[in-house]
Amino acid sequence: MTLEQTSLDQQQSLITHSDQLPDFFLTAQAEAAAQWDSLELPIIERMRYKKWPLFTQTITSTRTRQPANPLDDVTLDLLSNDEVAARIIHYGNETYLDYIAQDLTDKGVIIQDLFTALVDHPALVQKYLFSTLAPLEDKINAYHTAYMNGGLFIYIPKNVEIKLPIETVLVQDSRDELAFNKHILIVSEQNSQLTYLERSATVGDHANSATLLTEVVASAGAQVKFVAMDALGESTCAFVRRHGITYDDANIEWAAAAMNQGNTILDTYTELKGQGSASNTNIISIANGKQTQMVNTGLLNVGHHSAANIFQHGVILDQARLSFNGIGQIVKDAKGADAQQESRLMMLSQESRGDTNPILYIDEFEVTAGHAASVGQVDPEQLYYLMSRGLSQTDAEYLLIRGFLGQVIQTIPSMQIRQQMVEMIDNKLQLFHPGNL
Amino acid sequence: MTTLDIRNLHVSIEDKEILKGVNLTINTNEIHAIMGPNGTGKSTLAAAIMGNPAYEVTEGEIYIDGKDVLEMDVDERARAGLFLAVQYPSEIPGVTNAQFMKAAINSRRAEDDKINVMEFIKKLDEKMAILDMPEAMAERYLNEGFSGGEKKRNEILQLMMIEPTFAILDEIDSGLDIDALKVVSRGVNAMRGDNFGALIITHYQRLLNYITPDYIHIVIDGKVVKSGGPELAHRLEAEGYKGIIEELGLDFEVEE
Repeated sequence: MTLEQTSLDQQQSLITHSDQLPDFFLTAQAEAAAQWDSLELPIIERMRYKKWPLFTQTITSTRTRQPANPLDDVTLDLLSNDEVAARIIHYGNETYLDYIAQDLTDKGVIIQDLFTALVDHPALVQKYLFSTLAPLEDKINAYHTAYMNGGLFIYIPKNVEIKLPIETVLVQDSRDELAFNKHILIVSEQNSQLTYLERSATVGDHANSATLLTEVVASAGAQVKFVAMDALGESTCAFVRRHGITYDDANIEWAAAAMNQGNTILDTYTELKGQGSASNTNIISIANGKQTQMVNTGLLNVGHHSAANIFQHGVILDQARLSFNGIGQIVKDAKGADAQQESRLMMLSQESRGDTNPILYIDEFEVTAGHAASVGQVDPEQLYYLMSRGLSQTDAEYLLIRGFLGQVIQTIPSMQIRQQMVEMIDNKLQLFHPGNL
Repeated sequence: MTTLDIRNLHVSIEDKEILKGVNLTINTNEIHAIMGPNGTGKSTLAAAIMGNPAYEVTEGEIYIDGKDVLEMDVDERARAGLFLAVQYPSEIPGVTNAQFMKAAINSRRAEDDKINVMEFIKKLDEKMAILDMPEAMAERYLNEGFSGGEKKRNEILQLMMIEPTFAILDEIDSGLDIDALKVVSRGVNAMRGDNFGALIITHYQRLLNYITPDYIHIVIDGKVVKSGGPELAHRLEAEGYKGIIEELGLDFEVEE
């Protein structure tokens, strides 16, 4: 790919800033460093991962060379500059602000490297950082906090509505041993609107761990659309965690394509704190090769009339495992709350494993809740119908997979993003080599 | 000219013999109609020709220009020129009508000769206009939420887009109102020509007022018991199947 803009505004990384970081952050890091190894792993239902190599401890790179253009060695179809409000790239441990529309800066929007933001706006960052992911909560959060080596801070002030997406690219540099512990903090202030579009990729094939942790704070009336296309490499063992909180009438719309190639836990969780707040979590995933992908999605209804919805479709190939947990919890007094979920898996191989686990905990009477879950194979009647029009079995199955995942993709409003999601599916299904589609 | 040749075809479902030796020869530029009372094996014939895995051919042969159809998988049969339009096609959410038809057309073309987008859209617009189908139907998911009439129109649209050598229409007229019937017939009639033959399976004579067949075959109890020209349909209309059954001295009860 090429960037239209050649001079990138490179921002500072952790190391250059270490003596200027605010005390609250350094204290959190010191506590986490002292305790992480003795804390328990987060409990993920139906999942044992004690032996996963999630804790790479090398966090600085010995490499001095970065590519002149950080995206030269990554293949990604990014949106063009007139389709985005801003683009920020985090490559290895460096952040580059590639493009930002002038009016965003004028309105007080902050799009920055997290460490730079900690230095430039310590009070603002302190107010929100770790508010949905407490550093000492468990081993993942603590390790991540102690060994954090990059991140982004995105701040949308009150009443600011950004129509075009803010696009971020996170490139894991796995040419050597290097942990990928990135922290994304997104704050959408009252009645603001934001579409955040994140893409990840890995360069190199050294076996490394990744903890990619994201916090989304949606203040009263804020509307956040969070779209992630996870595509970390085969040698990466990843714990991806995205936790959000919605205040009164706020909304977080999560859409994720979980397409990492290596073993991955994707843990998406939203606390619907405010009344009338809502969150949809839409996830598609393809598990292939020998990988395990655990998609663990939880929503907590606290506010009156809060609405939670989970919609996940996944496809399993080869010897892979894919599991969908859907956890809906309604607390006492969350009157009028609604918790719905649908998780479906399609298995294309006899040797693959898949399971869907709907879990509902409800402590209030005046609520509505529902769940649907299924694990199945390609419908033989649909396959026959497509083949009776001349499509080979491979092409017919490919179309059915795309169609099955397409039902989730269709919920994404932007056509460009839908198209990119379909391309991700195609990338992951390359082994199919469909001839006619 | 291409010939579809069905010889002594015996077909069973779950060990019950439904077709008991059907012989039929259809050439391109001919329209044949199969008529018969309910439960006599008309749809079984259609499904067996196309290769539906639920139907077991226990005896007999099917050839297209000498090529053994029974040796082919369902997709190979389609690419060899066969097309089956059904009353209840599968609904496939997530796959658009246009996407599917493009894939179906391309499955018949060489790797370096795929249909280009403009050519495809032009053809699609043209065929949809013949069938009075709104443009939006191209982008809808394949048959999902379509009414009975829309599904049948959509089957005929696929027929017109794919342009097979032989089309089998399995009770495509049932449940259609008169306007829809005219539209569907218009589509089939537009296909008539030197490179197209059809086998129309119908329960009622009504469809044949709009698509005039060259030959009519009456199937009763798994066999073709009588063949003739279009006039046979009019006789059926007047006498019902009872007349034929009595004439031939068949031991068969027609369900009322």
